[in-house]
Amino acid sequence: MKKIVSNSIDWLDHRTGIKEVLREALYERVPGGARWRYVWGSALVVAFVTQVITGIFLWMAYSPSTQTAWESVYYIQHEMNGGWLLRGIHHFMASAMVVLLAIHFVQIVWDGAYRAPRELNFVLGLVLMLIVLGLSLTGYLLPWDQKGYWATNVGTELASQTPMAGGAIKKLAVGGSSYGHHTLTRFFALHAGVLPGALVAFLVLHLWLFRRHGLTPKEPRAGPDVLFWPDQVLKDSVAALGILVAVMGVVVYTGGAELTAPADPANNYAAARPEWYFLFLFQFLKWFPGELEVWGAFVIPGLIVGVLFLMPWIGRSRVGHFFNVALLAVLLGGAAMLTVQAIQDDTLAGSADAKFEESGLTATPENEAAFNASREFLRAKRDALHHAERVVDLAKTKGIPPTGALTLVYEDPYLQGPKLFAQNCASCHSYVDRDQPDPAIAFLVNEKPTAPNLFGVGSRKWIEGLLDPKQVAGPDYFGYEGSPFAGEGENTEMVLFVQDDCFGGVLNDAKRAEIKGALKKIAAALSCEATLPLQREQDAQDTAMIAEGRVLIEGGLADLLESGTSCTDCHSFGAQQDIGSPVLDGYMSRQWMIDFLRNPADERFYGDLNDRMPAFAPHDNPQLNQLDDQTLGLIVDWLRGDWVRAKPQAAGDAGNH
Amino acid sequence: MAEMKQDSQADISNAGKNRRSFIAILAGGLAMLGPIGAGILSFLSPLFRKAASPQVRVALLDQVPDDGRPYFFRVVADRQDAWTSYSQQKVGAVYLVRQPGDELPVAFTAKCPHAGCSVGYSAEEQKFKCPCHTSSFNIDGCRVNGDKEVSPRDMDTLEVVLNQVAASDSESVTEVLVTFVDYKTGHSEKILSE
Repeated sequence: MKKIVSNSIDWLDHRTGIKEVLREALYERVPGGARWRYVWGSALVVAFVTQVITGIFLWMAYSPSTQTAWESVYYIQHEMNGGWLLRGIHHFMASAMVVLLAIHFVQIVWDGAYRAPRELNFVLGLVLMLIVLGLSLTGYLLPWDQKGYWATNVGTELASQTPMAGGAIKKLAVGGSSYGHHTLTRFFALHAGVLPGALVAFLVLHLWLFRRHGLTPKEPRAGPDVLFWPDQVLKDSVAALGILVAVMGVVVYTGGAELTAPADPANNYAAARPEWYFLFLFQFLKWFPGELEVWGAFVIPGLIVGVLFLMPWIGRSRVGHFFNVALLAVLLGGAAMLTVQAIQDDTLAGSADAKFEESGLTATPENEAAFNASREFLRAKRDALHHAERVVDLAKTKGIPPTGALTLVYEDPYLQGPKLFAQNCASCHSYVDRDQPDPAIAFLVNEKPTAPNLFGVGSRKWIEGLLDPKQVAGPDYFGYEGSPFAGEGENTEMVLFVQDDCFGGVLNDAKRAEIKGALKKIAAALSCEATLPLQREQDAQDTAMIAEGRVLIEGGLADLLESGTSCTDCHSFGAQQDIGSPVLDGYMSRQWMIDFLRNPADERFYGDLNDRMPAFAPHDNPQLNQLDDQTLGLIVDWLRGDWVRAKPQAAGDAGNH
Repeated sequence: MAEMKQDSQADISNAGKNRRSFIAILAGGLAMLGPIGAGILSFLSPLFRKAASPQVRVALLDQVPDDGRPYFFRVVADRQDAWTSYSQQKVGAVYLVRQPGDELPVAFTAKCPHAGCSVGYSAEEQKFKCPCHTSSFNIDGCRVNGDKEVSPRDMDTLEVVLNQVAASDSESVTEVLVTFVDYKTGHSEKILSE
């Protein structure tokens, strides 16, 4: 057996010279014996090989286009077996590589290993470092999520400020005048083709020169020289395994690399930050006001990199070497300081709901501005996290359409509702649950509402409030500022009906309870008209009560009240048609609400009695309307709690977001 | 004599060698030039395309009350992205502010003149604030701290035109049209991106 193997090797060696190559590769002399401090260079090679392996497998599942990039990464992350692990290793090994680079670099400078005849190898090493940073920059964009998109956007904007050729550089990087398919195809070609290719080429040169000059031994030597194989290889392999275990630990601990919501050019991500090892550059820019930006972005970083390239020549003398070491200490210390500062700036407020008055900071305008900026960042981060989870839930439950995941975002009432409400409704209406004590829920509170509170609109609870004499003239219903429907207003019939017709005069407790019970049934019947998805089960259970309620609305209530009036004395409903408005058939149903938003002054609704509510879409031609059908539908669906739910939610959760 | 002959032969062969080397390099180089040239030509194609700067309807005038407060609108326009034609895609955002008594709103692009992040509006502080490098602007678009601000210039305004459209015989609506263009970041003057 042994003979067959040995013969085969000989056969191969005669034709390829493999033995000589292996001897060259493995039997390198390690002066002074194998040492742990020599492992960093090979650790970097192993890290790079890890990136190549994981990168190729990611490549097999990744598709660079604006409709497929996020979508394919989502699929890797959330659907493919072990996809999260694969992507996690690739992501965190990239970070590890930057740390390893820093260690390798510090060691070389500290040991003066750049001195003659190794100058060129040092230069090659720096080129390799720049390539690795380039890989990191280009890789950050590829998931095409909000974080990568907006952070890279700043990067290419800065590139456009390059003196002379900035505009052209940006266009070539972006592949056009704005971000799109070709930004992805170009970044991907750089990330998976050009830069790794260049890295391999420079790495071969780097290793070739390294072998030519041998490693720089650390004096005093610990023992006799040994050969690279197996002593040093053993240490290198153990180190490689250690690094991989550490990276895997981080991947498992964090659950893998982050994937924020799909990139949206029309919706800024206010918490966009570069990857942690570029934070110092991000922070550095804050120091350069106005047109001095170019100094912060190009001139100073460019000069520093220039000096790094000259280190071997500067370091020829003892003083020069000392200068290099000192410079490196200052640069690393400065970068660390800026990084800490950037993190501190962003986390100053402590939490997204913190109040400046409670922060303990001195009340100066600067402090307040810094505090607010930090709180905005933390809010954006919280919202973005929430947003991302929602998109993933949607992708899992509804599936991603061919137009991409952004369609899911824009067609989701849960995500769009609060924004559209804030933009179109919140200047008059509030959306807040007064009974909900949880301050973490982002309600939209109008301090001086000039229209009703729309939280839970159409629900039994909401209609019961409307029919409650204590609430009907309150700020959440008709008692808002300047209301014509309450107090001194001109059209107070509804409020008076509830307060006086139903509960006015002297009523004994039994009568009061009877009327209350009747109004509860009316609320149930009316609310059933809304066909709210969250109330579907309740409506199906309470058919008897709802039927009674309908009878009461259609005139039955008149028998209970001294005034002898009921809902259908003013409103059309059921069998009682052509009486008046707002019409109660289909009250607060999807179509009723959309029609109402289109034109509240329509005779089906408030007619001439309409207060200040604008007609958002009164015309057939959409071009003439303030809001289009889709927007109206989204607002209405959100108000009605009608959106896709990943897990069944309780009715009370309608306002949670 | 024999030595001379040898030398001249060496010269001839060297001369031939040089010529062959030269032609070899030239031919090989030319052979590579074709694919490289074709590649570079297509790689540079973005430089030969102009960005569209459409006039876009962003709102109806009714949606911008003259209360001096900024209103946020998405810019929706047709867009060509390489092979995909989008009709009515959200391509950016603007703030419209109408001062009391004014008919014409002012339009600010949401893109920060510093490094291109999207500027947000804080109703609490009544300021536009960039989430990236701390630029902040007053409601009129001026930098809060003047030249000490990281932004090299005030917020960029866009050209606004009002357009009356007849909705029926008796009534008409007024559209707000904005010329949605992109300005270069990092300069103290407004320079149009090509």
